[in-house]
Amino acid sequence: MNAPFIKYGMFGDNVGLIVAFVVGIGFGFFLERAGFGNGKKLAMQFYFRDMAVLKVMFTAIITAMLGVYFLSVFGVLDLSMVYLVPTNILPQIVGGLILGFGFVVGGYCPGTSCVSAATGKIDGMMYIVGVIIGIFIFGEVYPLIGNFYNATPMGQITISEWANIPYGVLVFAVVLMALGGFAAAEWAEKKNAGKEGSLITERTDA
Amino acid sequence: MRNMKNLTLKQKLAGIALLLGVIALFAGNPYKGNHFSIDSKEMELILSKGADLVKPEELADWTIQGKSDFNVVDVRSEKDYQQYHIPNSVNVPIAGLNKAGLSKTEKILLVCTDGTISAQAWTFLKAKGYKGVYILKGGLNEWNSKILFPSLPENATPEQTAAFEKTKEVSKYFGGTPTIGGKTETKEAPKVQAPKLETPSGTNTQSSEPKKKKEGC
Repeated sequence: MNAPFIKYGMFGDNVGLIVAFVVGIGFGFFLERAGFGNGKKLAMQFYFRDMAVLKVMFTAIITAMLGVYFLSVFGVLDLSMVYLVPTNILPQIVGGLILGFGFVVGGYCPGTSCVSAATGKIDGMMYIVGVIIGIFIFGEVYPLIGNFYNATPMGQITISEWANIPYGVLVFAVVLMALGGFAAAEWAEKKNAGKEGSLITERTDA
Repeated sequence: MRNMKNLTLKQKLAGIALLLGVIALFAGNPYKGNHFSIDSKEMELILSKGADLVKPEELADWTIQGKSDFNVVDVRSEKDYQQYHIPNSVNVPIAGLNKAGLSKTEKILLVCTDGTISAQAWTFLKAKGYKGVYILKGGLNEWNSKILFPSLPENATPEQTAAFEKTKEVSKYFGGTPTIGGKTETKEAPKVQAPKLETPSGTNTQSSEPKKKKEGC
């Protein structure tokens, strides 16, 4: 076992920030290459016309999941040292809905808005301004909503522990879900391809 | 082979993902090594209810009735164990707990001098995934004061005296010496001699001062 590198002291916090920067640039690069710097393309998934977002995200999930799972099984990665965000189920559902609402209205999620702004798009920049205002408001009203923010704590828990399902079975189930999702997404795209507002043809000549 | 070539890149990737998923079904738990986890929710519940504590009186009752399905595990040192131990208990010093190979399917009742070492062992076993782990409340100190050498103060209430009758019998069963008002009671139990089992060092079992009993047994 020698990963996570930073926990095993292979480099310190400062180098960790540089590594994070490089990983972040790589993440942004691939988001841009997938066309996620374009708010219209992102919004198209809500009309089931262009499901690239779902496909890219699900690909990322199963790639990371299979990687983490097998690296741990082979003893390269010590999974117990990977930080798990504590679960507070109710506030996180509400937070997810707020984020989803912003996604539908603004056409970006926080990550893709940075990509969009980096490629010079004004709507992406405005979105970032909105994100910062939102962070500021959250910080200011935190004393009022702090109780709710910390409500329904479940600790650092995984679905596997919560539902008492072996990790391997869960990995298999998520892979099946992803493949099913890909098939359904392709089917929906084909079905809606000719309809007004489709960006599939538009993208190729852009 | 020809079929393979006809597949698109997407289909090949999907095939690889599916294959890895199927392998994952049999590859086991990724959380390996010496790291264990504790279900904080379960822990909270147990601690708030004290559901993992077994009183000496309960253990005595179960033993007398032959109902005890506990594996009574004494986590003190071998030397202490040799001096005195609860009948039917096994000795697993805490240092050897990891390799003792205790069964996860049976109930384990941990015993030590005052409950401290048992608490450490309890946390350790819980983290390792043992479900039925219990602690003898107050350890052998309480076992001594409540079971082996119970005492009734001279100014006891009738309720206390009545309850003590039962305690006396239990005590005699385990070879103990009940005392009333600081005096060893021998009249009613001429056959019972001083306990053959030695008491652990550090306990003031034979002290002349009568112990105040907090509650009737």
